[in-house]
Amino acid sequence: MKRFRLTVALPKGRIFQEAYEALKRAGLPLPPVENARALLHGEEGGVALLELRNKDVPVYVDLGIAEIGVVGKDVLLDSGRDLYEPVDLGFGACRLSLIRRPGDTGPIRRIATKYPNFTARLLKERGWAADVVELSGNIELAAVTGLADAVVDVVQTGATLRAAGLVEVEVLAHSTARLVVNRQALKLKRDLLKPLIARLRELAQP
Amino acid sequence: MIPEGTRFLLPPEARLKAELQKRLQDLFLRHGYEPVELPALEAFDPAHPLAERAFKLVDKTGEVLALRSEFTTLLAKLLRPHLGKGVHRFQYAGALWLREADAELGRLREYTQVGLELIGATGPLADAEVLELAFSALEALGLGGVVEVGLPSLVGEVLRASGLSESAQKEVQRAIHRKNLPELKALLAQNPVPEEVRQTLLALPDLYGEREVLKEAQTLPLPPKAREALSRLERTLDLLERPVLLDLGMARRYEYYSGIFFRAYTPGFGLPLLGGGRYDGALLPQAAGFALGVERVLEALKPPPQESPPEVLALDLKALRRFARERRVELFHGEDPVAHAKARGIPFLAEGERIWEVP
Repeated sequence: MKRFRLTVALPKGRIFQEAYEALKRAGLPLPPVENARALLHGEEGGVALLELRNKDVPVYVDLGIAEIGVVGKDVLLDSGRDLYEPVDLGFGACRLSLIRRPGDTGPIRRIATKYPNFTARLLKERGWAADVVELSGNIELAAVTGLADAVVDVVQTGATLRAAGLVEVEVLAHSTARLVVNRQALKLKRDLLKPLIARLRELAQP
Repeated sequence: MIPEGTRFLLPPEARLKAELQKRLQDLFLRHGYEPVELPALEAFDPAHPLAERAFKLVDKTGEVLALRSEFTTLLAKLLRPHLGKGVHRFQYAGALWLREADAELGRLREYTQVGLELIGATGPLADAEVLELAFSALEALGLGGVVEVGLPSLVGEVLRASGLSESAQKEVQRAIHRKNLPELKALLAQNPVPEEVRQTLLALPDLYGEREVLKEAQTLPLPPKAREALSRLERTLDLLERPVLLDLGMARRYEYYSGIFFRAYTPGFGLPLLGGGRYDGALLPQAAGFALGVERVLEALKPPPQESPPEVLALDLKALRRFARERRVELFHGEDPVAHAKARGIPFLAEGERIWEVP
């Protein structure tokens, strides 16, 4: 196993590029992403970059494999991991919404989602007696096909929803990309991380 | 098949674990901490801090029992009626169980703790004693550790004096705990507080580092009780004379921890190895202590040292009986003892009263 000065976990997909640039602008010497098929970038003794599924970012950071990471608040709301969350990076804005078929107003008995913990909390808070079905992709299909009476899913522009003929009934939470930091790494590597956090906060100021 | 989050140990790990535990118990004993033994079964109490996560069983009377999930609460409950005035020092060791959802590296559902309680003493010297023992424990284990000290009571006093509603206090505490400055700002915009309080609350998450953060904290407009807590901490650190990391934004369970809260980390291992603090009034009028996670320590010490071979290979029972009194001996079963001794690196052979070096 190689030793790195700092290991950064970033989610593949829409957040990756913006997160990479934000960290670079803040002065973190990130390795170049040369080999698109590699999952771990970086040289021994330098900064390493891990490309992960977004749900895995909090896991890697909580267990200390990566010291810092960037991930959407939507994922953090579901993860239940005890992480530091010092900076709202502002990009990757989306919302978690309750989505149904138009005209559906009956009680919700089954709800499909990629966010089972967040959804279970919501049901508990509202006193709804419904089953949560965890799916991994194309969640809106669950509402279209009648697999569920409603879905809780991430919405960016709403175009996908409209195309599927569904309606956004309620916005449950707003999300943007956050910097997350492992609890002990923040202290042990504070010489590196405290200034990084300060610069990211300055840059993230609207 | 064994249940998730439980573990069995083979040599040499099992021996290493027993040795580590013994080293800690001896250390605590040398500092006046007497062992106590506590039952693994207790009556289920919904007010227990870990009630929701404890394993439950049904007793023959139909009453609900819980498997021990924490030593401190149990020790306080059992000893309260038997404690006289004065200072008491206790140590404990044993297994604990939590019906936790995720079992991961170092986060088991059945795990072992060794820990201690200092009862009937409070103040900077008592805090320094407990912290000193935590440092000594890390040294005894041969682990380079960093001890981080927080002051949940400081956050608690600031919140109590803030005029925020109880539910807003909880949300603010959560944001401070996560060092989530953007959320903290948003919460304080929704729930306005006096400017001085706002300034203090926004400063708390970033008050981590070395001794200089104490100075920084003292420049804040703190309520009197928070100021007192801070000067007690300063006095504790003066007495301790050890380098600690401070995090004054540590806001964990501030209604339980009446003074300091601390834990120890070791570089390269992602979870705290020990944790403790002061909880005057929570369970007993004056009490502080800490516990080490033995499995975590084992994990952090990896790789385990090579299992060393015995010193003597005994060729008969008589030799085993004769030499096992003073050395590690193994009885030989097989055809060629010399080849076996050479392969294992065993230096001596013995038969009856006779002992000789492996040729």
